[in-house]
Amino acid sequence: MKIVVCVKQVPEVTNVQVDPKTGTLIREGVKSILNPFCEYALDHAVRIKNSVPDVSIIVVTMGPTQARDVLIRCLELGADEGILITDRKFAGADTWATSWTLAEAIRKVIPDYDLVLAGKQAVDGDTAQVGPEIAEILGLAQITYGVDVTLSNNRRQVRVTVEVEKGYEVLETSLPALVTCSKGEVVRRAPSFKDVLNARKKPIRVVSADDLAIPEEQLGLQGSYTQVVKVFPPPAKKSNLLLQNLESVEAAREILAFLKEKRFVE
Amino acid sequence: MYEIHSKTAPEADFAQVKRVEGFATIQADYPAYLSDESKLSAKPFEYLFFPKSESELAAVVKRLNQQKVPFTIAGARTGLVGGCVPQEGALISLEYLDKVMDVYRDVPSGEWRIKAQTSVSLKNLDGMLRAKQMPFLEQSPDELVRRHYAEFREDPEQYFYPPDPTEMSASLGGSVVTNASGARTFRYGPTRAWVRGMRVFLANGEYLDIPRGKYLSSPEGQFIVCDSKGDAAVIDIPTYPQPRTKCTAGLFSAPRMDLIDLFIGSEGVLGIVTSVDIALLRREPKVSIIQFVDSDEQAVQLADALRAEDRIQLDFLEFYSGNALNLLRRLQSEEPSTVGMPPIPESAEAAVFFEMSFDPHQENQDFSILEMVIRSCGANLERSWAGYESRELDRFKVFRHMLPETINSIIAERKKQYPGIHKLGTDMAVPDGHMSEMWDLYRSSCEGLQLEWCAFGHIGNNHVHVNILPKSLEELEKGMRLYEIFAQRAVSLGGSVSAEHGIGKIKAKFLKYMFTAEQIDQMRRIKKALDPQGLINPNDIFSVEVAA
Repeated sequence: MKIVVCVKQVPEVTNVQVDPKTGTLIREGVKSILNPFCEYALDHAVRIKNSVPDVSIIVVTMGPTQARDVLIRCLELGADEGILITDRKFAGADTWATSWTLAEAIRKVIPDYDLVLAGKQAVDGDTAQVGPEIAEILGLAQITYGVDVTLSNNRRQVRVTVEVEKGYEVLETSLPALVTCSKGEVVRRAPSFKDVLNARKKPIRVVSADDLAIPEEQLGLQGSYTQVVKVFPPPAKKSNLLLQNLESVEAAREILAFLKEKRFVE
Repeated sequence: MYEIHSKTAPEADFAQVKRVEGFATIQADYPAYLSDESKLSAKPFEYLFFPKSESELAAVVKRLNQQKVPFTIAGARTGLVGGCVPQEGALISLEYLDKVMDVYRDVPSGEWRIKAQTSVSLKNLDGMLRAKQMPFLEQSPDELVRRHYAEFREDPEQYFYPPDPTEMSASLGGSVVTNASGARTFRYGPTRAWVRGMRVFLANGEYLDIPRGKYLSSPEGQFIVCDSKGDAAVIDIPTYPQPRTKCTAGLFSAPRMDLIDLFIGSEGVLGIVTSVDIALLRREPKVSIIQFVDSDEQAVQLADALRAEDRIQLDFLEFYSGNALNLLRRLQSEEPSTVGMPPIPESAEAAVFFEMSFDPHQENQDFSILEMVIRSCGANLERSWAGYESRELDRFKVFRHMLPETINSIIAERKKQYPGIHKLGTDMAVPDGHMSEMWDLYRSSCEGLQLEWCAFGHIGNNHVHVNILPKSLEELEKGMRLYEIFAQRAVSLGGSVSAEHGIGKIKAKFLKYMFTAEQIDQMRRIKKALDPQGLINPNDIFSVEVAA
């Protein structure tokens, strides 16, 4: 049984600064990591692998050559093989072009896949589109916002506990299928140092645009329906009011004034 | 040069210094200033001062000196021996002296240095160094400071401050006056090794600027400190030897010693450090590894083997006893995400935690010697956790800190029922080759008295913190008696009664195990020479009644 996990490399910090002049992200000094939601997806794949025999996990990413790092991270955490889809022709891809490329790679390189897992979204773009788009392109049933993923019906189906607004739902669908994953109860794994060393001996296949034979007009910027015009940080949330080093009477007066201003008291 | 002249700071208006008067008001509105991490309670004191500059500090110190009011100095109040918990007089909090003043390359040594005020927290310093962002320097009115900062930012390398006391909310100055150490002391030595200069205010309100290497004791073993009026104090340096271990018990001593070393680790009893110059080191990629083993004894054996292997260079080498892991397991069972790590393997009966160089991008790195050492002790690298990304290194560090934090909260909870209970953590270090013997004593004593206990800490320096968690005052008494037995054994093996926590108020009585009455008098005479009225940090290290 083959489980494909789609993963993405993202900046390590969530409060990435934006250059006010160019409107682009300041990446200087910012390290890249495996997108946390992709790590949760991988975690579910590893749990399945540890609970049933003959499961192999193949992680796929599209990105520059440095994206190899996240594949190695996945190999440390329990994946068996990595596929790095990299080519200058992929540059500038929006979610659609990215999804198309990932879907083609899965179809052509791992045609016998059974289950595709992905993070619900990447913490840099936050679009939550790539997983569902891959499912559409591959013609798969999709379940989103999964927090628990198990195989059922003699490994012919996948059962997913899904976050909904007021609780959880349990959904089931036949394989092959695609599931996107939320955090749920996952506590991030810690590989052993042996795993860290062995990961560097596991195979990583490099796939180019030519290997996938996708027409150039469907790749990268050309194949993108959307373009990021401007990136800007959201307006800062108002922080809590903290009164320090005040006499008690003075502090009480401040608090009362605050409550009145908010109309909590008359 | 062994003669140094103190200078007067421009004095602010004493009346303008922020203060709180009256113990009742302090108790009601400023309870945080009544204790520190030791949980020792303050005795009534009348004044709480918050000087915002050296000038204000000078004004406060001069006034208190004139009025013969003893005063205690507080930084971040993270000490474990009650050093900054006042017992009388006044408390001076240095928390507003919290600016980084300069980052500069020292040309002769080639090293980058930071000049900072005393209350910059180690955590903030680390954050600023990681991001290479020091906004205060960017906006400095001093052009030279701005230029230094720009040069620092242009340097493509990353730098860090090697001393790494687990408590990163500690203040820089506090870590200097306590000669703080921690995990990385194993490789980089204690704070003393990284201090390049300091400014220290004396009890008379004047200050000394002491760069390392400039003021060395005379061949007769003396320093002369002259004040602005021309009066001179003669300091005879201590003649006792230092133990062959980490040590923060008593004043430092060395032949032809540097004056700066007298103040480092003095627990603030000789003066008030307001700024320090510290050295930085180039940051290298590392991997943290927690190696699980089958027993405490196997962990001790593995630590010995790792230390003995010259071909392995570790940054730190730490220990968790089996009952320490159980304490963390209990936390994990209540809330899995609290500890921030996956479940501790059921089979793990103890662990050794270490860090070493590891470049994730370099192929074919050879760790066969490490594997061999681990296997030779009956352990296996497959039963480990490893992390090398910066967020992972941070996560492992939080895990390391989780244990003392957990113990502190257990003690705080028990203190509600028995207010007399306090933290009882040992701080002894012994020379290489004696850790097994010390460990046997720890285990047999604690188990013999059926006390709740656990152990963790710096096994690389043969410096394990045994923490006794008393459930009653009777158990506290038993624990205190054990502590004395442990202290005596550590000293008999050539070790120290206090390897990193210091003596403060809580451990003052243990000084006599390490030093003779005459040696303690040597320390008292230094105190008297610099602080004739015994005003600064009364009751820390030794009694306020200084020798005649």
